[in-house]
Amino acid sequence: MLTYFLRRLLLTAAVLFATSIIAFLLVHLTADPASTMAGEGASASDLEVIRETYGFNRPLYVQYTAWLLDLLQGDFGRSYYLRRDVSEILAERIPVTVTLGVSALCFSIVVSLTLGVCAALRPNSIIDRFALWLAVAGQALPSFLVAIGLMYVFGVYMRLLPISGVSDWTGYILPVVALGYYSTPSLMRLTRAGMLEALQSDHVRTARAYGLSPWRVTIRHALRHAILPVVSVAAVELGFMLGGSIIVESVFSLKGLGYLAWESIQRADIQVIQSILLLVAASYAVLTLCADLLNAALDPRVRH
Amino acid sequence: MLIRARRHHSLVIGSVMLAMVILMALLSPLIAPYDPALQDLENRFSPPFWSEGGSTEHILGTDNLGRDILSRIMWGSQTSLIIGLLTVVMSGVIGSALGIAAGYFGGRLDMIVTFLVTVRLSLPVVLVALVVVAVLGNSLSLMIAAIGLLLWDRFAIVSRSVTRQLATREYIIAARCFGSSSARVLIRELLPNLYGPLLVVASLEMANAVLLEASLSFLGLGVQPPQVSWGLMVAEAKSQLLFRPWVLAIPSVALIWLVLSINLVGDALRDITTPEGRA
Amino acid sequence: MTDETQLLRVEDLCVDLPTVSGLLSPVRSVSLSVARNETLAIVGESGSGKSLTATAILGLLPRSARVRSRAIELDGTDLTRLGARALRRLRGDRIAMIFQDPMTALDPCYRVGDQMVEILRQHRRISRKDAMERARGMLAQVGIPAPETRLRQFPHQLSGGLRQRVVIAMALLCEPDLIIADEPTTALDVTIQAQILSLLKSLQERTGFGLILITHDFGVVAGMADRIAVMYGGEVVETGPCDELLEAPLHPYTEGLLQALPSLRVGDGPLGLIPGVVPRQVGPRLACGFVDRCPYAETECSEHPVQMREQGFARATRCILPSDRPRDDRTVWHRQMGEDK
Repeated sequence: MLTYFLRRLLLTAAVLFATSIIAFLLVHLTADPASTMAGEGASASDLEVIRETYGFNRPLYVQYTAWLLDLLQGDFGRSYYLRRDVSEILAERIPVTVTLGVSALCFSIVVSLTLGVCAALRPNSIIDRFALWLAVAGQALPSFLVAIGLMYVFGVYMRLLPISGVSDWTGYILPVVALGYYSTPSLMRLTRAGMLEALQSDHVRTARAYGLSPWRVTIRHALRHAILPVVSVAAVELGFMLGGSIIVESVFSLKGLGYLAWESIQRADIQVIQSILLLVAASYAVLTLCADLLNAALDPRVRH
Repeated sequence: MLIRARRHHSLVIGSVMLAMVILMALLSPLIAPYDPALQDLENRFSPPFWSEGGSTEHILGTDNLGRDILSRIMWGSQTSLIIGLLTVVMSGVIGSALGIAAGYFGGRLDMIVTFLVTVRLSLPVVLVALVVVAVLGNSLSLMIAAIGLLLWDRFAIVSRSVTRQLATREYIIAARCFGSSSARVLIRELLPNLYGPLLVVASLEMANAVLLEASLSFLGLGVQPPQVSWGLMVAEAKSQLLFRPWVLAIPSVALIWLVLSINLVGDALRDITTPEGRA
Repeated sequence: MTDETQLLRVEDLCVDLPTVSGLLSPVRSVSLSVARNETLAIVGESGSGKSLTATAILGLLPRSARVRSRAIELDGTDLTRLGARALRRLRGDRIAMIFQDPMTALDPCYRVGDQMVEILRQHRRISRKDAMERARGMLAQVGIPAPETRLRQFPHQLSGGLRQRVVIAMALLCEPDLIIADEPTTALDVTIQAQILSLLKSLQERTGFGLILITHDFGVVAGMADRIAVMYGGEVVETGPCDELLEAPLHPYTEGLLQALPSLRVGDGPLGLIPGVVPRQVGPRLACGFVDRCPYAETECSEHPVQMREQGFARATRCILPSDRPRDDRTVWHRQMGEDK
């Protein structure tokens, strides 16, 4: 188990290293980062000052190494636009995004598991058809439409829930649904398929043959097996949610990382963009690692 | 029989829906009643012909700048389809090549490709696309290149796993023992088995590409005026939700229509290509 | 055979499965019985419906299956009249089933001990500690060395033979009256097969449960069974005491099966075989189910379906031909094959 963990850790580190290079290069793709940052109307001397401060005159690999070293010491650089340390800004915005992402995942898991198990227990019944129809419909809806739709129906029309900001927890409800619904179809289908297969398996047959209660059979013996792929996919989906929260956050004006990323892209605030890219990639890599470890913990066969 | 009926159901409905969009895209230069960028500031926000105040001059009404919505929908279909198809072709070629090579040759190559896939998966697609487009500008070809370079992962994963499964089958090993060159084996035995799964992935990724472009345009960093995109139409109509819902609803329906049709076809393809029609 | 000694009595069991190609009838009118301390072997090739019969008795068939019978009685209690919950209480407690493949019968995610305790605590009021102790004792009884270690292990850590012993131990946990073993040795090595069978036999002698042994292998039957029921095409075609039936089979199918067994005597001639395939499962029987493959078939055999008829004490057969018909040796089966060519 330990060697497995170490190997995965090494792989994660390698992936992070590669993504840091990509994050760095992406942002420095422009011919002249200084003018991109300063925008139009900047004088030549202004640009020169920017170049000096941010070290754009140095060769790329030197800039990268410097950035990496700073990063490892916790220094994410300074935002040109906001004139603050990036790490400060990130620290402010992270909680919102994380809350949003985790809640959205929980919402998605609860709905998918419930629907998936019910559908598998009664294949071809009304509930099964409903679940599958919901899956098809859900996958065709772009997230910004769902966000706007929810906002309209529940926020404006019914005046039930707030439509922007998060003064209290109710402000999270609509964004959570808007962000979480997209992974529900795939998770539900996965659960359903896994349950259908598990319910036909020999050990479930044994469990039934020994008179175990239906609840035990379904949850302890069938779902336990069906849930393995769902766990991995769920962790991965969380990564996608963290990266894809940009739309939901901008529609609902939530001050999270996604919104910050969008603002920074518009303002060409390079340091912030770089850091956010890397941060999201890092969380994704860590989440995949956790998913693999969870998999190993749940299925003893993987360990031995 | 239930399974087969469902397949036909989805396939027929999906294909018809998709065909309608394709036709619309192909014929839009001929049948669109107006120039989609033509502004008519005196006729702003005229409703569709079935609501009061509407007329048959603008069947689906006009938007905030008096532009005819029907024409914009028609021209917008071109954008979505072009981006959808071209990005899928691009990412399909890249991904399949990598995946097949990894699955067939194994060893170091496999490790490298797997590593590349993992790295690609850890990058947030929307953010990266936004950054690229923001930094390098948003011409259509650039967007296609950016999205095409981002959506190849599933192609690689699927083609790699199928190739790996097939490469260890006895008849492949036998063929190689008898002196068939790798290329021959690849073409004759592997490729026919790959069409099915890859087509399914292609439909999935095409839907993704269409949605990605719509999202980018919605955020203002995708297609720019005077070009038309359904995502852009939604963005421009966002504030009009309460009083002039049609300006938002119509492009939304168009988007959902297209993505739904692609998904239906893809689902049907998946059912057809798997031996047991397990949903 | 009075009714009081009957532990299990099945009369006229039929199973229908609606499918896309029509209504399948894999089990047609099966009647059998087992007493305590008795072993009934159900013998037949794959497709004969023997496993489905067992599953139907336990009430484990999928919702879409239609099970009809005149009676399925365990010690006089009609199982068909029991609700789902009552039936569930019986399973594992008074009737236990041992399945064919020990590799897949146990849940790989849970330790052996936990799975056994789960069964015990489902049927008895017993603390976890006591249940674990009972499990340990049972593992020892089935001849597993170092049972404490095994309790903590996962199924994939045990060998095939050990796993089947665990499965048998699980079946015996609640001291059932009836055990149904569906091909318990088919998935095992030949050397292990004999061990498992003798284990079952000795356990039966000690505890006195009734045993239904389902198999396609006559070799398994010979040392184990008191009575045999031969199944073909969803029907029981012959029943009788083990030795008598093996010595002098009444039904041509039984005869054919026995002829197909390789004998260890040198120079016994080529193996017989039964040409043809199992009859279709769809639609009602219009004739004897075996008529297409029977070398003794007469015109009357294809005219109407055949019922079971008693032949002497404790024997019955579904064949209308007289029991004293001329019995050829294997050559009659070869001639059949030659004609088909």
